[in-house]
Amino acid sequence: MSTYIYAITAADHPRNLEGLKGVGDPAGELRTIATEKLSAVVSDAPEDLRAKRRDLAAHQAVLEALLADGATLPMRFGLVGPDDGSVESVLEENEGAYAERLSELDGCLEYNLKVSREEEDLLREIITDSEEISRLREVTQENPMAQEEKVRLGELVSQEVQARQEADGKALVAQLADVAQRQTVAEPTQTHFLNASFLVRRDEAAAFSQAVTEEAERRGDAYSLSLYGPLPPYSFV
Amino acid sequence: MTVMTQSTNTATANSGSGAGGGNLYDILELILDRGLVIDAFVRVSLVGIEILKIDVRVVVASVDTYLRFAEACNRLDLEAGRKAPTQLTEIVGDATESGAKGKSKGALTGAVEAFSESLQKGRDGEEEEREREPRKAASSSSGSRRTPRRKED
Repeated sequence: MSTYIYAITAADHPRNLEGLKGVGDPAGELRTIATEKLSAVVSDAPEDLRAKRRDLAAHQAVLEALLADGATLPMRFGLVGPDDGSVESVLEENEGAYAERLSELDGCLEYNLKVSREEEDLLREIITDSEEISRLREVTQENPMAQEEKVRLGELVSQEVQARQEADGKALVAQLADVAQRQTVAEPTQTHFLNASFLVRRDEAAAFSQAVTEEAERRGDAYSLSLYGPLPPYSFV
Repeated sequence: MTVMTQSTNTATANSGSGAGGGNLYDILELILDRGLVIDAFVRVSLVGIEILKIDVRVVVASVDTYLRFAEACNRLDLEAGRKAPTQLTEIVGDATESGAKGKSKGALTGAVEAFSESLQKGRDGEEEEREREPRKAASSSSGSRRTPRRKED
């Protein structure tokens, strides 16, 4: 039976997992594989594991419970070792590195921030700021058949959209970096021009949240900021 | 302005009531694409992983894209200026763990309920296809990201 791994913690982590179950249907029983310094929380791996909602939720719930009681290295969803013995070997082989990582992340949480802006608001700003775009817009409004101007208008606008979103995202991250230990910026999504994760000290979580709120207030109605956390430090392991 | 602070609420995690579900979609890429891996071990082949790639914005420098922007600009009424303040509920929570249980609880409840409903639907053999729907919904409206679209597809 292969072994599904949820997380690695220090050996002295309380691992209070009462009432929680693992991935699979029926849900796997959680158990611990321990070495002298480290523990891995595992369960039997279901044979047909896929990214089902139930399994993702189970994985996440185990990590959250562990995070509440101390430093936790979250594994990526779906990681499976051949058996318990091989998990133990991996823990032993990498004991130093994992222990160091755990101590670095001790007292830290991840927050994920996604930011979007209404397109109309951005376009309005671009048209107002650029004489050339403004001119091309008038030309194409008066002459809807002016295909060449239309393409040129769209090209300029598209470049501006990208440049402004990038600059905006950088400024936002820079603003929040003061209250974070580390940050990492992921690819934008179709909805959000900024998708960033921040590693925040537990005792600075309130200050971080406050900084996000202030940033949102400063930016006004056209922006939408969604903050998710506290999360296991997925992005910082 | 819209701020949505959604806590994963570790308190409920401990009681085993499927905590963190409310924002599972929004942190899906973290669960699936980040986190520690062990090189020697396999990562189970997951069809659902593909959903990550779908949501990533592809900026295509094409005439079609340009024309869409041009049309959007031409439709825009500059004089109308700012639209009325959005009617979106402002959910500002204290994101500390204690705050999660107090202040932002109302917001959390909504999120968790919305999730439970889709969870219910997912239970009877529905699989990864379902996972990506709320993302589509999120991209079609700026403020109602907690309302998953369900039946359309």
